[in-house]
Amino acid sequence: MNKRQTRLFAIASTAIATLLFLVLTVDSHRQFPTLTNSENITEEVIRGQQVWHNYNCINCHTILGEGAYYAPDLTKITQLRGTPYLTAFMKDPSQFYDEQKHRRLMPNLGMSDQEISDVIVFMDWVSKVDNQGWPPRPILVTGAALPGSDAGAAQQQADAGARPVAADNSPIALGEALFRNAIPTCQACHSMTPGVNLAGPSLAGLGAFFEQVKASGEYTGKATTEEEFIRESIVEPSAWLHPGAMYSAGGTSFMPPTYGDDLTEEQIDQLVAYLMSFK
Amino acid sequence: MRYKSQSVAYWYFALAMVLFGLQLVFGLLSASKYLGPDPLLNLLPFDVTKTVHTNLLIVWVLTGFMGATYWIISDESRSELYSVKLAYIQLGIWAIMGVTAVVGYLFGYGTGNKLLEQPLPHKIAIVVCMLIFLYNIVMTIRQSGRFTTTEGVLLLGLASSAVLYLPALLHWDNYIIAIYYRWWTIHLWVEGVWEMIQGAFLAYLLIRLSGADREVLEKWLYVIVGLVFIAGILGTAHHYYWVGVPAYWLPLGGFFSALEPVALVGMAMYAYFSIRRGGVRHPNVLALHWTIGSALFTMFGAGLLGLAHTFPSINKWTHGTLITAMHGHAAFYGAYAMIVMAVITYALPTLTKNRQVDGSAVGYWAFWLQMAGMFGMTLSFATAGIGQVYLERVLGIGYLDVQLKIQIHFIMLIVTASIFAIGVALFIYDFFRQAPRMEPVDEAELFPDATLPRGPSSFGTASPNTARMGS
Repeated sequence: MNKRQTRLFAIASTAIATLLFLVLTVDSHRQFPTLTNSENITEEVIRGQQVWHNYNCINCHTILGEGAYYAPDLTKITQLRGTPYLTAFMKDPSQFYDEQKHRRLMPNLGMSDQEISDVIVFMDWVSKVDNQGWPPRPILVTGAALPGSDAGAAQQQADAGARPVAADNSPIALGEALFRNAIPTCQACHSMTPGVNLAGPSLAGLGAFFEQVKASGEYTGKATTEEEFIRESIVEPSAWLHPGAMYSAGGTSFMPPTYGDDLTEEQIDQLVAYLMSFK
Repeated sequence: MRYKSQSVAYWYFALAMVLFGLQLVFGLLSASKYLGPDPLLNLLPFDVTKTVHTNLLIVWVLTGFMGATYWIISDESRSELYSVKLAYIQLGIWAIMGVTAVVGYLFGYGTGNKLLEQPLPHKIAIVVCMLIFLYNIVMTIRQSGRFTTTEGVLLLGLASSAVLYLPALLHWDNYIIAIYYRWWTIHLWVEGVWEMIQGAFLAYLLIRLSGADREVLEKWLYVIVGLVFIAGILGTAHHYYWVGVPAYWLPLGGFFSALEPVALVGMAMYAYFSIRRGGVRHPNVLALHWTIGSALFTMFGAGLLGLAHTFPSINKWTHGTLITAMHGHAAFYGAYAMIVMAVITYALPTLTKNRQVDGSAVGYWAFWLQMAGMFGMTLSFATAGIGQVYLERVLGIGYLDVQLKIQIHFIMLIVTASIFAIGVALFIYDFFRQAPRMEPVDEAELFPDATLPRGPSSFGTASPNTARMGS
């Protein structure tokens, strides 16, 4: 090839690639409304996006896998955790995580109630964008999809939960610790990750699950709200049997019926608060 | 330095060096926060140090590009710059823009949009600087009447950088569309038009350092530009994985990203063979180290380490982990930091006073410590990233618990980053220890004992239509 031919090669390949790229850009714009549910981009979502930018969230966290790698990915966070929990977390992250334990902590940003509620609405919109099903498995902040696989036996004893707890901590944090060190431990049979069913079913998303069970007409217990449903399942596991032959037999749940007697009323409240923090 | 106005390059390089040093301070600070706990949590949190770290990188590399271009354009067009005054005005605006942006970040001013954190007035100042710069360069070439292929590629690269910054000024209420256009600036800069700039700098350096034939080198420069754009433009697709764009970007990204190393391997071969075949070896062996080093490190960091995670079925697991930081550090350093240091090292013996032509011992220490340090940092990010992907993404262990398990890699990162920082400190020291030269001087007169590759008059053809005369 001589220089003229190579120049032609450079120009032609650039031009073809550019043209193809522009055509695909036009087509992408055609598909954006469907992929991103653009009809759901409300004033709140737009304000929430501004909050996301104002607090420079992307330079610690990632969203849709983009950002810095210093803090957890938040793409699907609103599908894992409910609004009350996320609100309480943003008001004071140190209630839920401990810098000494994880060597990292989110600073208290001093966000207003309005900003917190807007940014949650924004993140919820993001979580519903069609992004080809990424992440392939839920990305957790702490703990493990298979409970206990994140730490050795000695560590499990030493510090249960996402942080060492004191009596004045948020009930959610106390409930998380209890989930790990109640006897027998809840996490021996239950994962908090959606779709991970162990000896007992996954406990993620109990609110939505209860609505579904109620609507099916097969619910046999007395609960009318998510909170009552969770409490009933702890104290009286056989009041309603979770579908599936591996969870019960002869009308009796395989879950130990002892928690109602062994745990105090306050401890059960804490467990309920923790389980309700998952969406 | 054959033209008096080339001395403006010194002040651009000097600013670039200062900002480079600052970049490392904030880089080390950010790295130490990975170890934690962070005593500066409420004073100078990670998001601020990281923003400053990446923005200083962009600003200093661009400052280096501008200085290098002012230096090269005079040599290539054999002319004084059109306006030295404009070049200094531009530098002044640029420096004020850079410094106020960084100070602003410390106090929380910024757009919170990754890599495009510059507030609007700063973005406008950037555009103004780019326009002054391009005007000055174009007028220099016009007044000289000599326009080489190297200059053509360089100019096109710089002009496209300015144009591609414009999408960054757009605002979208739909965050997904905002992401889509953000990559037009970021990706098409670093994996497109900046590679044209790097390619042009390489061509300039190789012609002068190896005495290789200009016609041959410029012919291959076109091939490299063609390959860069075939792969680079559609390779934007690998930034469109899992962010809410149509699914066809996945196979497109996989295919065209796999082609990206072709251009970079080509660039490395181009450098290697021109040195082997070149007639006479220029005595500035240190500049040769940086030049070949840049081509090879780009192949490694941008090419191979990029390829390591651009197939969609792999990226599904690695997306948004420290694997990206591994690739980012090695690629940016090899392609852009090193090429700027190559031009600086080439220019220094005549740009400053009392210097040996072949580089000082300090200069060699700076080179090898940086090489070792950056290679170690890349390995630290890689091992941390592999651990993170396996534990967090595959086994499903929580993010914070995994970060605790990979602490040892962060210690490794800080150790290797410190070695790198010593290398950079030596480079900066070596740069500043001699006073700048303000009067033109001929290289052959200054270093009469050195064998220089051919006389200046034999460089290329003097016609404005150089590009048409190749065969």
